[in-house]
Amino acid sequence: MTDTFPVPLQTRSLVKVYGDDVAVDGVDLQVMPGEIHAIVGLNGAGKTTLMRMLLGMVKPTAGEALVRGQSAQTAGPRVWMEVGCLIETPFAYPELTVRENLRAAALLHGLAPGRINSAIARVLSGFELSGWEHKRSRTLSLGNRQRLGLASAVIHEPSILVLDEPANALDPAGVVFIRDLLRSASDGGAAILVSSHHLDQLARVADRITMMHRGMAVGSLDPDGIDLEQQFFDRVYRVELERGAA
Amino acid sequence: MKRALTVELLKIRRSPVVWTTTLLIVVLVPLLCLGFIAAADGGAGALGAKAEAMVTGEGWEAYLGLLGQMIAVTLFIGPGVVTAWAFGREHSEHTFASLFALPVSRRSIAAAKFVVLLLWGIALTAAVLVAAVIVGLIADVGPLEGFDLVGNLARLAVAGVLTITIALTIGLVASIGRGYLPAIGAIIMLTMFAQIAVLVGTGGWFPFAAPGLYAVAGAEGVAEINTVQLLLVPVTAAAAAWATMRWWQHAEV
Repeated sequence: MTDTFPVPLQTRSLVKVYGDDVAVDGVDLQVMPGEIHAIVGLNGAGKTTLMRMLLGMVKPTAGEALVRGQSAQTAGPRVWMEVGCLIETPFAYPELTVRENLRAAALLHGLAPGRINSAIARVLSGFELSGWEHKRSRTLSLGNRQRLGLASAVIHEPSILVLDEPANALDPAGVVFIRDLLRSASDGGAAILVSSHHLDQLARVADRITMMHRGMAVGSLDPDGIDLEQQFFDRVYRVELERGAA
Repeated sequence: MKRALTVELLKIRRSPVVWTTTLLIVVLVPLLCLGFIAAADGGAGALGAKAEAMVTGEGWEAYLGLLGQMIAVTLFIGPGVVTAWAFGREHSEHTFASLFALPVSRRSIAAAKFVVLLLWGIALTAAVLVAAVIVGLIADVGPLEGFDLVGNLARLAVAGVLTITIALTIGLVASIGRGYLPAIGAIIMLTMFAQIAVLVGTGGWFPFAAPGLYAVAGAEGVAEINTVQLLLVPVTAAAAAWATMRWWQHAEV
């Protein structure tokens, strides 16, 4: 990949240490255009911290977190205009209606004023939120708040998506919806980094699966392989054995 | 900056905290002033004695003098709480992370919050003064002949705007404290310190007390306040706003 088309998302020997706790320990990964790269791991494996560093939310202790070849700590507006993300809490201010929240997200993502209304109409319909358009987001169910957060993350049609547990609070229909959303965005050329606890959900959509454990990238899973859960726990078990032996 | 301003304006327009504060101050402050004057005129009882101590002069002079004392407190506490909400809510409601990875910088978002809060504060000051004049005229607090109504209102307007300006410093506490509660604590402490500073005679040099002293300057027993002391108010507020914007640009989630 040349500098003209820098890798959308990349980490190099990325480390984050909080006191005595090594949250992320020397992770190298990259996400290419049109690729869905999934990260799986137990709670506390370092998935969210890794994503936070890629989004400039947390400074790395060592190594690099790069977006389009630029450090996430110093990247400028042109880079961030290409990015959509959902980390933990959805972008949903309780006092604003669904439409107002979407308008705020569109403005903050740098969408041209002339395109905002059509973008809102597109995501209202695409995320099945039209019935709630004028409802304040505080009145939405958890699932619909999550849909609103996802709609806010993609309203500007980003070419880079970072989603932490996007299926949280969604019912089975919502999970299918997320899979379709990810597939359609990657078909359009977007580079997608997504985390999940649910291996079978990812297996149906991811191009690449990286396993994280105790802050380290401990291997990858073949999305087309069988019994991913067994493979995952075998790997985690081996890492724990190696730690015990060391 | 324009985009951040539009979003912050939308948030403040829809906020129940802002509307409740506005209504409480605009409606209650003039009525409380009338009530105190009535109590002072009545003379009897502990409330009458207390009210009498607060009221100087008669008619409009007494009414607007009381209004000056009221706005010095309410325009600090009310806008202080709204400022605490505007900055602290991003942490208490976990929306702070949503403000990363955007082409609009967090420094611009913090600056937009200050601009919108300042504009709202100026509108609030104007509204409470207009409401006070209407209430005063309806209640017929006294004759207007020979009373410099415009001059007195101008002094109160300056005092009100200085008060809401210094209240914006609460944004720094809400940011560093990452929530409403530390900021609410700061409002209470600063209100107390302002009272103490006035009591010990150094209030003019304390930017949280100076606007109140200016509001009632000229009244019996009130020390004069000079221009340098007044200028410390916007200087302190500007320093706090700069520190807040810097904090927003460099803070982690």
